[in-house]
Formats: sequence, C-alpha cells, structure tokens
Amino acid sequence: MITRRQMFQRAGAGFGWVAVQSMLARAGFAAPGLNPLAPRAGHFPAKAKSVIWLFMNGGPSQVDTWDYKPELEKRDGQPMPGFDPKTGFFPDAVGGLMKSPFKFEQHGQTGSWGSSLFPKLAKQVDKMAFIHSCFTDSNNHSPALFMMNTGTTRMGHPSVGAWVTYGLGSESEDLPSFIVMSDPKNRGLPKGNASNWTAGFLPGVYQGTWLKPQGEPIANLKRPADLTEKRQREQLDFLATLNREQMAGSAAENELAARINSFELAYRMQTAAPEAFDVNREPEHIRKQYGIDLPHCAHMALQCLTARRLVERGVRFVQIYSGGMENQQSWDGHADIVGNHTGFAAEVDQPFAALLADLEQRGLLKDTLVVCAGEFGRLPISQKGAKPGRDHNPHAFTAWLAGAGIKPGVHHGATDDVGFKAVVDRVSVHDFHATLLHLLGIDHEKLTFRYSGLDQRLTGVEPTHIVKSILA
Amino acid sequence: MKFIQTTSIAAFIAGTILPAPAANVVPPDHAERMTKGLELFRTDVAGILKEHCLKCHGGEKTKGDFDLATREGLLLGGAEGPALKPFAAAESMMLKMMRHEEEPHMPEKKPKLPDAVIAKVAAWIDLGAPYDAPLVVGKVVRDKSVVTEEDRKWWAFVPLTKPVPPSGGHPVDAFLKAKAAEKKLSLSPEADRRTLIRRAALDLTGLPPEPEAVEAFLADKSPDAWEKVVDALLASPRYGERWARHWLDVARFAESSGFEHDYDRPHAFHYRDFVIRAANADMPFDQFAKWQIAGDEFAPGNAEAMMATGFLGAGVFPTQITANEVERTRYDALDDMLATTGSAFLGLTVGCARCHDHKFDPIPAKDYYQMLTTFTKTVRSNVDLVVDADSGAKQKAAHDAKVAELKASLAAYEKTLRPKMDAWIASGGDLPTTAVQTAVLESITSQGGAKFTDLKDGSWLAGGANPKDDVYTLVTTTSARQITGIKLEALTHESMRGKGPGRASNGNFALSRISVTATPLKGGVAREVKLSGAEATHQQNKDSLSVASSLDAERKSGWAVDFGGIGKDQAAVFSFAEPLDVEGGVRIAVKLEFYVNDAHCIGRPRLGIFAGGPPALKTPALPAAIVALQPKLRAKAALSPAESDALFAWWRERDAEWRQFGAKLDALAKAEPKNTTPVMVCVEGYKPIVMHSQGAPFLEKTHILKRGDPNQKQGEASQAFLQVLSRESGIERWKWTPPSDAKSTGQRRTFANWLTDVEKGGGTLMARVTANRIWQQHFGRGIVATPNDFGKTGALPTHPELLDWMAGELIRSGWKMKSLHRIVLTSAAYRQSSAADAAKAAADPENTLFMRRVPRRMEGEAVRDSALAVAGILDPTMFGAGTLDENSKRRSVYFRVKRSQLLNSMVVFDAPEPLSSQGSRPTTTVAPQALLLMNSPQVRDWSLAFARRLLKERTFSGEDFSPLISRAYAIALSREPRPAELAAANAFIRNGLPAGQDKAVADFCQALISTNEFAYLN
Repeated sequence: MITRRQMFQRAGAGFGWVAVQSMLARAGFAAPGLNPLAPRAGHFPAKAKSVIWLFMNGGPSQVDTWDYKPELEKRDGQPMPGFDPKTGFFPDAVGGLMKSPFKFEQHGQTGSWGSSLFPKLAKQVDKMAFIHSCFTDSNNHSPALFMMNTGTTRMGHPSVGAWVTYGLGSESEDLPSFIVMSDPKNRGLPKGNASNWTAGFLPGVYQGTWLKPQGEPIANLKRPADLTEKRQREQLDFLATLNREQMAGSAAENELAARINSFELAYRMQTAAPEAFDVNREPEHIRKQYGIDLPHCAHMALQCLTARRLVERGVRFVQIYSGGMENQQSWDGHADIVGNHTGFAAEVDQPFAALLADLEQRGLLKDTLVVCAGEFGRLPISQKGAKPGRDHNPHAFTAWLAGAGIKPGVHHGATDDVGFKAVVDRVSVHDFHATLLHLLGIDHEKLTFRYSGLDQRLTGVEPTHIVKSILA
Repeated sequence: MKFIQTTSIAAFIAGTILPAPAANVVPPDHAERMTKGLELFRTDVAGILKEHCLKCHGGEKTKGDFDLATREGLLLGGAEGPALKPFAAAESMMLKMMRHEEEPHMPEKKPKLPDAVIAKVAAWIDLGAPYDAPLVVGKVVRDKSVVTEEDRKWWAFVPLTKPVPPSGGHPVDAFLKAKAAEKKLSLSPEADRRTLIRRAALDLTGLPPEPEAVEAFLADKSPDAWEKVVDALLASPRYGERWARHWLDVARFAESSGFEHDYDRPHAFHYRDFVIRAANADMPFDQFAKWQIAGDEFAPGNAEAMMATGFLGAGVFPTQITANEVERTRYDALDDMLATTGSAFLGLTVGCARCHDHKFDPIPAKDYYQMLTTFTKTVRSNVDLVVDADSGAKQKAAHDAKVAELKASLAAYEKTLRPKMDAWIASGGDLPTTAVQTAVLESITSQGGAKFTDLKDGSWLAGGANPKDDVYTLVTTTSARQITGIKLEALTHESMRGKGPGRASNGNFALSRISVTATPLKGGVAREVKLSGAEATHQQNKDSLSVASSLDAERKSGWAVDFGGIGKDQAAVFSFAEPLDVEGGVRIAVKLEFYVNDAHCIGRPRLGIFAGGPPALKTPALPAAIVALQPKLRAKAALSPAESDALFAWWRERDAEWRQFGAKLDALAKAEPKNTTPVMVCVEGYKPIVMHSQGAPFLEKTHILKRGDPNQKQGEASQAFLQVLSRESGIERWKWTPPSDAKSTGQRRTFANWLTDVEKGGGTLMARVTANRIWQQHFGRGIVATPNDFGKTGALPTHPELLDWMAGELIRSGWKMKSLHRIVLTSAAYRQSSAADAAKAAADPENTLFMRRVPRRMEGEAVRDSALAVAGILDPTMFGAGTLDENSKRRSVYFRVKRSQLLNSMVVFDAPEPLSSQGSRPTTTVAPQALLLMNSPQVRDWSLAFARRLLKERTFSGEDFSPLISRAYAIALSREPRPAELAAANAFIRNGLPAGQDKAVADFCQALISTNEFAYLN
C-alpha cells in the first residue's frame, strides 16, 4: 500500500511556512496567508482551469499511432544506415526498418492520420492538436518518466502537478488538488513509483494524492467501525471544546485555530470525497458511453469518468496512467508490438473518446486541458525476437492535446521520413511543460522555489519556448 | 536562445554543446575603428545599453549569466556563449535578438527598439564594441575559478571569533539580551515547572514525561533540580532515538534504492542504529563526521565505523542503467555523496558548482570536481561484519557442542549398522538394477575460459570468465554396458546470483544444445550418439526455453529455468535413441553449448550415466565405485577394508534411522549461528552491490566536466578541497596514506581530516553548522534560519557572536553534543513562558530575537510515539531491522524507510522525502492529519489501549469519571484538568456509555491525543 500525502483545502501552516510564503511572493503569486492551499490567481488569465493528463506509460510507438510514415512501408526490412545500436535498450536486438503493422487512415474534417489502433478516438481528432516533434533526454523508463513528470531525469524534483498546486493552490474545498490514478489491474505503478507525482523539495502539501486502485481510494476517509456518526460528531465537538479551553492565551493562536478548523473540514470530507469517487451516481448511458460495461476497458472507463467528476468538482490536476510497470505490462512493446499495442489501445480507445465527448457535451472541455503522451517514443526499426517489437526511442514521440486553449486540428512539428528523430519545430519536454503552465496562466520562468541555494524551476535552464502554434 | 535566471540539473544532462568562441579576426584598421567606436559608445551606445539592457544583465540581475556592465563581461557572454563578435555585428547573437531575428527577442517582453537605435548598436559592434568605463561604477569582471581574499571574508568562512558574553549570567542569555536591548525587549518570564519538564522531555526524548517524573520535579526544592532533569533526559536511551531522527533527515536516510524498482537495502538499517548509538554515547561530533565519511579508514575492523559509512550510500541510485547512462548515473551518485556531505557538515550547496562555478558562493567548479575525486571508487557493498563478537562466540560454542554430541551418537549407531550390512552382503547383496552412475570426469573444459573446481561430489563449480557465449566439454570413461542416456544436473551454489543454478545475472542459464560423442576405449572412431528425448525438473516454458529445445541446432533456443527454478537444484535426462553398448569401455564426451542469452551458462554441472534401465529423473544415483563392486558382491568375495568402507558409505543411506541422523545434522548445519551480520557500507575495495547496469559500478577516474556533462571531459581531477575554507595550500597537511594492504585509497580519510580541521580546514564551519542545528531543534529556528545553507543565498545569523561562542564551546568540549544541549537548556531563554505577548509579537513578529517562545507542532514521529507511550503500549525494543507495518508499536525511528512506500502517518505530518539532505521540515496543518487522528485504525487502537490503562490504574464510583480523567490529563498533558475540562469530559464519557464503558473512555482518550496541546511543543 502506498498512501501519499494528501492535500485538501483550508489547511494551515506553522514553522517554516513563512519562508514558503516569501518564495510564493517572489514567484509572483498573492501571499496565501496561513493556508498553503488557498486558491491564487496566476500570472495572467488562465485558459485552462483543470488538466487531465492521460499518461501512456511505457512509451507508445509514434509510427504506429499518430505519426504516419509511408516511407517505412517502402523501406520495410531494410537496415537503417548509421543507426547507433545504443539508442534503444537492447543493443543486441537491432533489426531493420519495420513498417507499421497497423492500417493508417485520415480522419475527421482535419484529415488527421491515425492508425487502426484507435477507431473511436479517431472520431475525436477534430478536437485534438498534435505535437509530432517531442523528444526527451533518456532512453530508459524511469529517467524518462521523471523527465516528463518533473522536468529532470534525476529523482526527487517536484512534479508538474505539484508545481501547479504550489503556484495556484486548490479550487476545491473538499478534494485534493492533484490526484493520480495508476493501473488498477495489478500490473504495477509506473517505474519510479510515487516519485512521478512527488512534491520533491516543495512542501509536502503539494504532493499528488494517489488513489488506491483497490479498497478505499484515500486513507482514513472511513469512520472506525465502532464509532457511530453521532458519536464522532459529539467527539469532534468535545475536542473543539478542549482545544478552545487550551488555546486561551497561546502565542500560536492562528495556527492552533487552523488546526481546529482542519478537523471540521476532515469531517465534511468524509462524505464529499466518497461522493466524488462514486461513479455509480452517473446515469447508465454515460457509464456505457465510457465503456464501463466492457471487460476489456472497464478499468480505464472508471478512471476517465472519475477524472471528469473530479475536474467538475474543482480538482486542478488529474493524471491517469495507462499500463503498469514491467515491459509487457505497459505500452513498452519490446516483444510483439502488435499484441502489446492492440491490447493497450483497446483498453483506452473508448474511454478516452468518451472523455473528450463527455467533457464537450457538458461544456467542461473549454476549461479542461486534456493531454496525452508517454515518456518517449519507439524506434522505427524492429526489435528482433520471436515476434517483432520496437525498442525505446528518446528522439521522437507524439503528444496530443485537446480542450482549454488548444487550437484543434493543428499538427505541430515533424519527424524525419521514417519517424526516427524529431526534425522540424522540435519540442523539448521543457517546452511542453512551459506550454502547459502557460495554459494555466503561469509564466514558467517566474514559477520558482528557492532550494539548495538556487531558484529552482520546472523548466530548467535551457532555452524554452511555448508551443504557440497549438494555442487557440 | 533565451537567457535564463536559474539553473537546474537538466541543463548538462541534455548535453548542450556550446559554440566554440569565434576566432577573433581583428581587422587591420582596428585601432582607427576602436577610436570611432569609443566615441559612439560615449555619445549613444552606453546610454542605450544602460536604458534597455543593464537592468537584467549586470545591474539588478544577471540573467542568463550575462553581464554587460564591462566589456570583458560582454565578450565573455552568458550561459549560451558569446553575445557578440567584435567587428562583426551581423554574426552577433545579441544583435539578432534585438532585431527579433532570434528568440528570445530583446529587450525581453518589451517592444522592439527603434531601427535607428539598433543601427547604432550594430555600428558600434562593427567598430569593435569598445567601452570607456564600466556601465556600473567600479565593476570588474572576475574569474570565479579563483577564490580571493574578499571571498574569504564572508562571515561563515572566517576563523571563529572568540566573543566574550557581553554581561554576567548565563552566556546564552547575555548574548540574546544584548541584542534584544536594541529593541528594548527582554526575556519572557520563566514557564511553570510542569511546562518546563514536558518541554524538555518532548524536546530531548520525543516522549512526554511520566506523571511521576513531573511530580518529583515539582517536589524537588534543590537549586539544581532543573539541571538534574536535563541530565536525566540526556542520559535516557530515548534521547538518541529522538535526535538520530533529526540527523537522518540531514543524511537523506532511506533503506531502498528508489528509481525503477526501488529495491530494498535490507542491511542499511545498521547506519540508523549507528546514529542512535553515537548520539546516546555522545560520540564527539568530529569523530561522528569522520566515521561517516571514512570509518573503514579511521577504524579498520571496527563494525560501528563501517556501519557509519552507510551515510555515503543512503542516497538514491537507479536500478536499471542503459549503456548511455552509465557515466551520467555514476557522476550523479558521486554528486549525491558530495552534495550531501557539503550540506550536512558545512551547510554549503557544493552541488551547485557541478555545472559551473557557484553563482553566489566562492566554490569554483574545479573545487567541486577535485573534491569529487574523494569518492571516485566509493560504492555500496554488503559486508559481513562481526557486530557483537561476545554473544556470537557464545552461540557458536553452544552450537558446536550440539553438533559434537549428535555426531557421537551417530558414530555409535553406525557401529550397530555395520553387522547389518554384512548380513545384507551374505544374503546376496543385490544392487539396484537401474541407477544413474555419477560420472567421474576425466576433464571439463570451457572454450570461453571458465575455470572449474572439483567439489568432490561429482559436481564441478565454474568460476572466472563468464563470457557472453560459451561451450563446455565434459569427458568421462565408463565400462558400463547398455547405456540408455545421460543425466545433466545443474546444481545451485552460494557463489552464484540467487544461488544459481546458472551464472547469469538473474541466476538463470540457457543451454542451446547438448550433444554426446562416444569413442570405444579399445580403439575405433568417435561417433555421435543420437539423443531422442529429454525431460527436466523445471523448464522456463514449453517452446523456445524448454528442455526439448536443447536437442536441436537452433542457437537461440534451449533449456532455461527462470520463473520458478532459480535457487533450486535442477536436472534433465536425455535419452539415447539406441542403447550404447561397447565392450571394453567407452569414452563419452558431452558438449554443452550456451548461445541463447548472454552469460547464461550452467554454474555447477554434474553428469550421470544411465545403464541397465530406461533413463528417468527419479532413478536413484549410484556412484561408479559401487557399481564396480557388483561382481565381487555377486560372488560373495571378501571386500578390502577400503571397499567395505566405500560400500558402507553408500549402503547406510538405505537405513531410515541413519537418514534421520543425517537430516538432523543438516538442520543443525543450516542453523549454525553466524558470527557475522551483513551490513551495507559505502567504502572502497569490497564487492559492489550491482544493479541491472550495462556498465561498471564505478569509473576508474573522475574528470572535470564542462557544464556537468560527461561527454565534455576536461581532464582528470586530482584531490583537493574547498579553497575558500583552506588556510594552507596543497593537501599534504591532511593527506593520509593507507597501509600497503589496505583496500582503499585513503582519499576519504584525507578529506575527513580536512573537513574536521578547525585550524586550517573545514572544522570551524562544521562547528558553526552543528551548533546551529542544536539551537534550531531547541528553538524551532536556527540562529541561521537556513541550516543547510550558510552561503550567500542563505540567511544571515541573527546572533553571530552567540553562534561563534557556541561553536567554540562545542570544540572546547571535545565536540560533545550533550554538553551543548546542557548549555542551551539551562538558559533562561529556553525556559521562557509561551504565553502570548501582543506587544512583543508586534515588535518582533518572527521572533528573531528569541525573547518569547512560540508553541510549534511536533513531528509526526513525536506525535505518534507520544500517543503510544501514553497508551502504555510503546514497545521500547531498540535497534534492528525496521518494519513498514503501521501497526508496529515500536518508536517511529524504527519504521523502515522505503522510498516508494513512505508511510502515510509520517508523510502526512511533513516527514520529508529522503531524496536530498533536509535541514528543516516545514510544518503544515492539513485535513488529512485530522482524518488520521479521527479514523485511522491505529489511533483507534491506541485510544482503546489508553482507556484500558486508565481503567486499570484508577478506580471510580458510579458515573463520576473524574479520577480517570485526572489521570489521563496527568499522563497525556502532564497537568491536572481544569474544572471546565473535567465537567466536559465527564459529560462526554457519560454520553457514550451505551456503547460500553471501554469505548466511552476510548472516545475521550482519542479526543485527548487529538488536542492541539498534545501535539504541540509548548
């Protein structure tokens, strides 16, 4: 069991908090007083109120999903000249170029190319903007996951969701601001585990709240079995009496009052949070739209529907991981790209399509940014084996975005003829992060936190550009 | 490109390659041009630069490391390289940005400058870009790789001053009062005795005082009553458990690797135990520092000193490393050791100098890499150490006696067996008709260079080379007839990963092909024996890794045993298509080919031969020597004594009772108490703990890296230390040369000598940093509010003289921490009341003058430990392996720290992520803390236990629970309840009685341990 820091609204703070307040002020945010989670305005008006990040864990193949490469068909089986066998993970299993085993067609009004892996999602392409020229710094899962989630390949820096919550606080009174859902089918967490949603050196209140896939999603939401609701209420009233009695004349009055308040909030949360997580409150047709009745995608349907319910209730940042930890348990199609990608695409196709459609029909899509990407892409050559696979590729991957502030139908950047390297309008992970922050009303250069003697930043020191072409 | 203000790790990882500075081509008319340029500078350009550029680049800020206040700075450029090329405006980046030809456009986020203005700058560049004077008066560009006398004058780097307390009385108070007098503030009155003993107990031991201790202190009228309380608390073993936890934050201590798999480090807890014992024993802090860095070099053979080096190895390390990442991850690991050491002992952000000279502190990148060499060959190892020699020896002796006793009974029993064997021989002495004869090998060879050791049981252990591919050939001769097949055993051995049975990094093997050739001993040609079938105890799958796939010629398929077979003996039998029947004996050669996967060779093969019956896995083994006795037995001929002994060695195993003796001896052998305990250390010269890496665990040399990038090496670094703290050049003063038989280089001890040298090395700063940590824990904030940063980005000391005096006291006391605690706790400042004082709070809102006390919430560990203690269920067991079980009743310091599974009950109360050194914890108050106290099963259990304790300890009559309530307040809050509290509590308990008395009281107890007063250090 991994139960992480949870953050809820109306908190308080004591020692050490003054320093954080001054950092927030330096970073251009209104001082939040005693409450580290008080909602705060960004640097400029935000396009997006919330983010739902669909993390394709393991690294899907760009050339088998959204980056169509006819040249691969022509050169299928030919060796790739000048290829460095250390590019991927298995230097001894380097095969020739391999065409996509999936059929590509153009979809929607925008005529965007997409493979047969996503028949339902393909019907939503006119809502999506694609970045075909993403690249990252590592050819190995956990450093690449850290890069995508924290802006560095090293362990221990704050995740995007933590940075955003640090900057903007929480809109929800009763729910955490940053929520993470991982694979519920016992296939494991993403590599690097909870460091992918850590607060790093930021105060722990900004940590992502990981929902346990089985049992109670959040720790301690349920009253002890031997305590009735009435008795707990009496107990809290009694506690408040004792606390008020003790508080008289204390030098830490504000902080102590915040603590009294935190019990009342916790009491309310016991009902509010389970309500938010209860998708059974949704009408049948909505549940079916997501595919909750279909065994192959019920789990993703549940998570996508939960994500919608959460952003509806003011949760700022939701991350859903598709796939678990080890090779074939995630999009990491080393052995058998056909079997691997077919299986995982089937898990997400309908739920993702339904999420976009549902957000739109509720008018939530204009305020909600939906992001879909993995930690890297895959090579255009085959990885040799009984069934051909594809190895890791840090040089190119495709991300798509939809919703708040996104110009639909745009294709930004391009890879080379075979989809090996991003070559046109390259987008670094920092560029990607800066763009996300921009949509949330945050200037990525101002979002800083003093740690280890430096003003740390999600987007690091390299030249970083917002991907303007995808902005509405 | 964009100029940037901050820095992070990512920059050099990306491998940014800077353009080489352009060769300066000076035009022939340069002198003339420069003169014109200077004029243009005076009239226009200086003004333009001052108005539009200087604020961000050399004035108020130095964005992107670019400072154009001087011409030298302008030519040097910034993080992205040179800003311009004199005499070549068109090629100058600065101009391109101003012209909006390149991003970011300059001046940033402002309209483009008028073309006429840009034209003037362009002309000036073409004229050589001369300056008449710096744009900021007196500014000079300096080479940050050289540390100057000015740098050494920073308060933290100067030698310790020897301040004299400004007045009489307690020195701490004297220093504080002198400073507070400036604001006309004075110390608050002393707190009452109940508050004081509770404060000191929670502060020093993390547990509330026993009610009896409170009463004793109240009754003690002696003048040194307080000193006695302080001394008793410092002498308590609970002190070490509390203060170790503070240091473990600084040491970023955890017991797992982090990254992909977050593998456990099951032997890492010894470091935590070392810290606790060191604190309790009041180990001098300089020794504490030395041992953590080089315990193996300072005290060879001392297990505690070895454990201490767990400090260096406590950081994260990837579990999966691709070939591309080998160097980078190693430099990361070295950085982790150095950066943590720098923060923990020197309060300096040394790690900042990894990519470039430190921006703020005088730490050149060169100093960084020269210090980094200290750890070049330092790696984590698990080493077997004699942790407790005395008790180990006693256990061993008791064990040996038991073994001897059993062996004596066995010998007696065997004497009674011998006649039974003789009777068996007399009755016909039938040997089993079918059996596997364990082959006696003539030779065993490896094409790849593995060397084999005869283990004397028919098996041979492979050692030495373990190449990617290999081919073994096993040769034996036999006179057996009707040979129907062979048996190949792959046995386990401690020397292999996971005990084998394979030599691969996961204990597996994969046999591509097995082939057998037979050569008649009487002469004749060798011929291949056709194999017709195979069967194995375990196979990895049914196709490409099955035992049958070892029969074909396909190199990439063959018998493997992962997924259930690792760590267990495995065997396969291979049937001959036709029985081999050669008169006069035959030489059999068995060839084993390993091509399926890298280094997947069998580690301990044993060969058997089936004769006289069909091959089967279950057929019992019969040594060849016994088979040879068959004719004699049949003829009932007399056996020689040696033959008789050999036969007996085999025959006795048929006896059930004898086998029981054997089983008992085996069990005893397995239970043999080991005198040693595996301990994770981080030193040189032992077998490194290896991860899934495509490279070596460490690099032989440490290079100076440009921008921290291993692809941009700038020569090998040799050991040296921070220039700014060294008051002697070279490292000879600190150099330690290890004895010739030492496993290590001596570099860590050399470094530690420098670090702790108060005369000419880092010792004075270490004393300041350490004294400040003590102050910080007692007052909630350090004299320097940034305990891990004493550099220019850190806070200045509020009371520099007091800090220097305390640092001096620490050194003078022989680095005894307890003596410094005593000094602090006996001050009036420590004993102030925490009653609100609005006037003081207004005059000094952040309490930087320490003229009042502000209550502060305790860490999660102290809250939890206190709750267990008052419930009467705290398990005081010290030391040893920790647990992740939240139901544990031991102190929280004994929770196992697994990076991917940090415990909710700790994390929710702001326990830090153990990723890098943490000097202080923030304190937040969030609803999940309340939820934990309201709903967690553990808190409910503690409350029920507390209720049972009260019901046992106090009697009461009717529905007046006052005696219980008073006792509860005494235990939990160290005081009597006030009348209003007593009344409210009585009413609350009575309301709950319908659910049962235990529960009603437990509900009350739960509320009591949830109160602010319980959780706050007052």
